[in-house]
Amino acid sequence: MLKKHLVKAALGAALLISTALSAHADALSKIKEAGVIKVGTETAFAPFDFIDAGEHVGLNVDFFAELGKDLGVKVEWVALPWDGVFPALEAGKFDFVAGPATITKARLERFKMTAPIAEATVAILKKAGDKTITKPEDIAGKAVGAGKATAQLAQLQEYSATLPKKVDAREYVSFNDAYADLAAGRIVAVANSLPNIAFVAKQRNGAFEVVTPAFGKKAYFGFIGKKDADSATLVEYVNAEVLKMKKDGRLGKMQEKWFGTTFDTPDEVNDPAF
Amino acid sequence: MTLKLFTLLLQAAISTVGISLVSIAIGFVIAILLSAARLSGKAIYVAPTQLFISFFRGVPLLVQLLLIYTLLPVIGINVPSVVAAIIGLSLCTAAYQAENMRGGFESVPKGLIEAAEVTGLNPTQTFFRIRVPIALRLTLPALVNEAIMILKSSSLVSVVGIIEITKMAQDLASSTYLPIPIFLSAGLIYLVINWVIAMLGRYAEKSLAGTSA
Repeated sequence: MLKKHLVKAALGAALLISTALSAHADALSKIKEAGVIKVGTETAFAPFDFIDAGEHVGLNVDFFAELGKDLGVKVEWVALPWDGVFPALEAGKFDFVAGPATITKARLERFKMTAPIAEATVAILKKAGDKTITKPEDIAGKAVGAGKATAQLAQLQEYSATLPKKVDAREYVSFNDAYADLAAGRIVAVANSLPNIAFVAKQRNGAFEVVTPAFGKKAYFGFIGKKDADSATLVEYVNAEVLKMKKDGRLGKMQEKWFGTTFDTPDEVNDPAF
Repeated sequence: MTLKLFTLLLQAAISTVGISLVSIAIGFVIAILLSAARLSGKAIYVAPTQLFISFFRGVPLLVQLLLIYTLLPVIGINVPSVVAAIIGLSLCTAAYQAENMRGGFESVPKGLIEAAEVTGLNPTQTFFRIRVPIALRLTLPALVNEAIMILKSSSLVSVVGIIEITKMAQDLASSTYLPIPIFLSAGLIYLVINWVIAMLGRYAEKSLAGTSA
């Protein structure tokens, strides 16, 4: 008898807790109430998001610092390996994903993405002075690296299929590991978005070179939010912030600071090229 | 390799040591409870214990961590990264520690337990005053071993968003392009911490050897 009551009580308590935790509330007002927005990211995606001698910096950090100021909340960062970021967003570990991620058809089906913050078209990074690669199609039959679970890897594989000899596409936990292997000579090139590899080539003064033109289809980077009804206002707010900072010149300044150039990006991408 | 970089690695070592020690302690308590459940001999307690141990010993810690981090929110429990890391490490080490203790518990002489019963100790008293002290003394070296294993395994918790020694070393190596001195330093820090654990273990063994159980 007592056991039955205990079980009932435990079940009741569990039910109460779970309803309290999953109580539907608008994500934006929850963030305002808590005074903190949690942003998930990968800290191995320079110059958007990286650790510079122990300090978390990049365009993402600058952008969300401005957003936090506008919204009047603190920004809390959660750094995960890239292939763990989307599962954690869906599990509710954070409110938004910085990344950024290439705006693709597949991602738009599952997530909401903000207006572009930079161009994301994929190109090749090679070792400086490598004369065997002078144009993108020269990577045919060679070992080329890219980050796991990235749109850039998908672009590389798609491009590889159009070449006379398939590319030996190697997947890395992060692009940083791919750059390290390029430096060590285990691969001959890294396929990543132009702003990223331009930054890496500049940073590692003279070790790497960007091969132009870009081989990938024209693409853009955006931030990522959840698609559910509770997140609608939050996604709208972050999107409006991107457009606002684009208009008042703050985004341009950030692009200038991190890429040494500004990008001409559209205000929305509803029909990405892939 | 500058002093600043080394200091950053040492700061990351604080999360490595903190999370590992808390997990080893929690795991130790759970392991004692698991042992008690198993020694009870009643199927209703023994079966879940076996299930627990085979699950947490049989599934890779990396998978456990990812499961705890992303599965718990589905049932309405959304824990922060550090809690997820501690839960994962604790449950895993509990399974291993319980297995280690089994050998110790089985080596407690039957006669001692019978003697305890004859002198009027109830089963709980017998467990905590006779069986646990003897079993622990016998399994202390294995416990120290397990503590060192967990400290090293804690390099996995970066997958749930914790910056510990290994993750910090990776971040620093990729931004400074100095992988060799950074990973050497990280290895050295692990070595020193584990050496301290081993020394403490030896000290505990010596002081326990002096007492009679």
